[in-house]
Amino acid sequence: MNALEFKNVSVVYGEGTPFKKAALDNISVCFPEKQITGLIGHTGSGKSTLASLANGLLKPTSGEVLLFGENIWAQKREMKKIRSRVGLVFQYPEYQLFDETVEADISFGPKNIGLSDEEIKKRVRLAAEFCGLSQKELKRSPFELSGGQKRRAAIAGVLAMRPEVLVLDEPAAGLDPKGREEILGGLTEYKNTYGATLIIISHSMEDVARYSDNIVVMKEGEVYMQGAPEEIFMQAEKLFDAALDLPQITKLFIELKKRSLCQSTDVYTVGYAKKEIEKIIKNA
Amino acid sequence: MLSGLNVKIEKGSYTAILGHNGCGKSTLAKLLCGILLPTEGNVSVAGMDTANEENAFEIRKRCGMVFQNPDNQLVASVVEEDIAFAPENLGLARDEIRRRVDEALATVDMSDYARHATHKLSGGQKQRIAIAGVLAMGPDCIIFDEATAMLDPTGRKEIVAAMKRLNKEMGMTVVTITHYMNEAVEADRIIVMNQGEIIADGTPEEIFSQVEVLHSVSLDVPQVTELMFLLEQDGFPLPRGILHAMDAADELEKFIGEQKNERA
Amino acid sequence: MLKDVTFGQYFPGNSLLHRTDPRIKIILLIEYLVLVLVAESLPAVALSLCFTAFLIAVSGVRFGILIKSVKPLIFVLAFTAVINLFFTKGESEPLLEWKFITVYSEGVRTAVTMLIRLLSMVLGSGILISFTTSPLELTDAIERLLKPLKAIKVPVHEFAMMMSIALRFIPTLIEETNKIISAQKARCADFESGNIIKRLKALVPILIPLFVSAIRRAEELADAMECRCYRGGEGRTKLKVMKTRPTDFVFLASVTLFTVAIFFVNMIEFSEVIAFCADIF
Repeated sequence: MNALEFKNVSVVYGEGTPFKKAALDNISVCFPEKQITGLIGHTGSGKSTLASLANGLLKPTSGEVLLFGENIWAQKREMKKIRSRVGLVFQYPEYQLFDETVEADISFGPKNIGLSDEEIKKRVRLAAEFCGLSQKELKRSPFELSGGQKRRAAIAGVLAMRPEVLVLDEPAAGLDPKGREEILGGLTEYKNTYGATLIIISHSMEDVARYSDNIVVMKEGEVYMQGAPEEIFMQAEKLFDAALDLPQITKLFIELKKRSLCQSTDVYTVGYAKKEIEKIIKNA
Repeated sequence: MLSGLNVKIEKGSYTAILGHNGCGKSTLAKLLCGILLPTEGNVSVAGMDTANEENAFEIRKRCGMVFQNPDNQLVASVVEEDIAFAPENLGLARDEIRRRVDEALATVDMSDYARHATHKLSGGQKQRIAIAGVLAMGPDCIIFDEATAMLDPTGRKEIVAAMKRLNKEMGMTVVTITHYMNEAVEADRIIVMNQGEIIADGTPEEIFSQVEVLHSVSLDVPQVTELMFLLEQDGFPLPRGILHAMDAADELEKFIGEQKNERA
Repeated sequence: MLKDVTFGQYFPGNSLLHRTDPRIKIILLIEYLVLVLVAESLPAVALSLCFTAFLIAVSGVRFGILIKSVKPLIFVLAFTAVINLFFTKGESEPLLEWKFITVYSEGVRTAVTMLIRLLSMVLGSGILISFTTSPLELTDAIERLLKPLKAIKVPVHEFAMMMSIALRFIPTLIEETNKIISAQKARCADFESGNIIKRLKALVPILIPLFVSAIRRAEELADAMECRCYRGGEGRTKLKVMKTRPTDFVFLASVTLFTVAIFFVNMIEFSEVIAFCADIF
């Protein structure tokens, strides 16, 4: 089943004026349940607009946004519920921290949904665990944390609502490799524990290649490509057209194929690449 | 933050300082241009001690700095007015300011944007304006303090291209502080920092030959570097420190060819 | 929500107003405000409207932007108009009487003049100052106009620099506020229901991050300015030397004349104009 589905969705700004601009132009795209979908595209391709549509922060000009088959705009009063079911983590989410302690900040979302104190406490503890925050850090002020810890605290604030679908806009942007690992690893763990669906917007082809089950490529407000990572990364020319890059390892295999040293170019992780090369050497 | 650090940066060189968040690399940047003073030891820029109050102005003039957040270093609302900020502070004549502004804009390829509003530009463009703003000051050295961290891949490429041009064509000393290895690879020298100390110093090839060292301080290496390293660990006699896909393809082709010949 | 705020925004261009000396523009604005407030009789109001139209025409600012600049004030405008309409007591027969509502012709007139005045003030200050004058030019102009105050130790340069930086950061902070609101909404924050205390409390998760970020920005900006050799107004030169051109004086003179004219026109009542015309024929 599809956790989230966009059906003929358009978002047009300044309708009826000469400055009309379509941020999204009649797109239809599905995000299958319990999978990680990597959403990639050039800046201004409509990725962030898509994210704001997912939890009803933005209303489509036309078309439908379906959450497990139900139109999220069918009952406007239920929007709070929709937002607790579809978590949205913005770019640089650490700028949204405000409370006295990390614990209180993470509780903000669950409190707004109206959960019991006991339940909130439990969820905060679990969310903090997924994000690798210790009990000691929970008692501290969010403004005393390091950059990476702040980021994790902000993400925990959304995880604590225990969303079924989680949309993240560049959750690892600006972090060093260790910080990226901690965040993306924690998210994968959350997904596996609760059977959640993840949509991760990223500029890093290497990260997308490593963590996604599916990839959706956006270009100029349209869905340009979608499929499994190996299908996407095999179409190098098409990706270059969307001003995107390939994982470096895929580039290597394209070069090796040019020199007739291998047949396939559907390689995008280092582990798989190593096996392939060893095979090639053995067969030489 | 930093302890017992000794480092020299040659005039006209292109150096990358690599390290994970909080390893002290930004502190080092602030020391270099004198907005921070060392608690022990001394820092000198072109022979001038930064601790000496009298040198402060001259040091800043010689050693410019581009910061991480593009929004927080633009002073004016219009591009050319922002670039004029430093020359205005230096008290230059109007014609000279004009000349420097136009030249700096041309260097970062933003001449068409002279009269544009700064807040409407993309991140990469804002950062190019920040570079132009520093260039207009007429420095010998520019320090980039994580100047690409908040940019998208296109913006990042623009800035790295600008760094290379400043160094190779204009002979400027460039120091870039980063945790992106793709960026560090472009430099002529890499200094790796961890917990306030320098743990490695050398050419990109030398540095990226030490995959274990980099991993131990939670730094990444390019995918092909990692692949070649893993193959070498498995007993294939392949060279270390390969940084680019093309070089890796060359080495693999050579090696596979040799294997074929041996078996034939 | 805050997307429509055009206050403090500058739209670069090359119109007559863009080229006018900002110091002249400040004087023009003062004259303009006097003009708008003084105009009371119908002919005077009509003339002041013509003048506003003239300013719009020479500013080259797009009509859409003007509409946008008025939009956030619609509520205030409507409220003022309605209050004036219903609460102005007239001497003549009421135009309308329904339950407790009575509308006199004087009420209609005051409401319309008030509306025109407020609209003109908003549009005029927008066109004359913020849309066509870059904040730096504006603060430069203020710095120069206030220069005499330096003699009595008023920190004129610092004040001007602070103002220019504040103006420069308005769009950035508006954008940031929108981002924080969206982020807290995504955490199911509710800004729209409950009593006033609850609503004020709901602002805390917006205001704190905003302050924290503003402070961080200020610190970083201070470093960046220091790195670019800033050390106060002493010994600073300017890229743009303000030169008052002959056309500026022509502009200023004609506007001054116009303002004086309005004073006189103001004394004439509309009925008198009609009577005058009737006399001729």
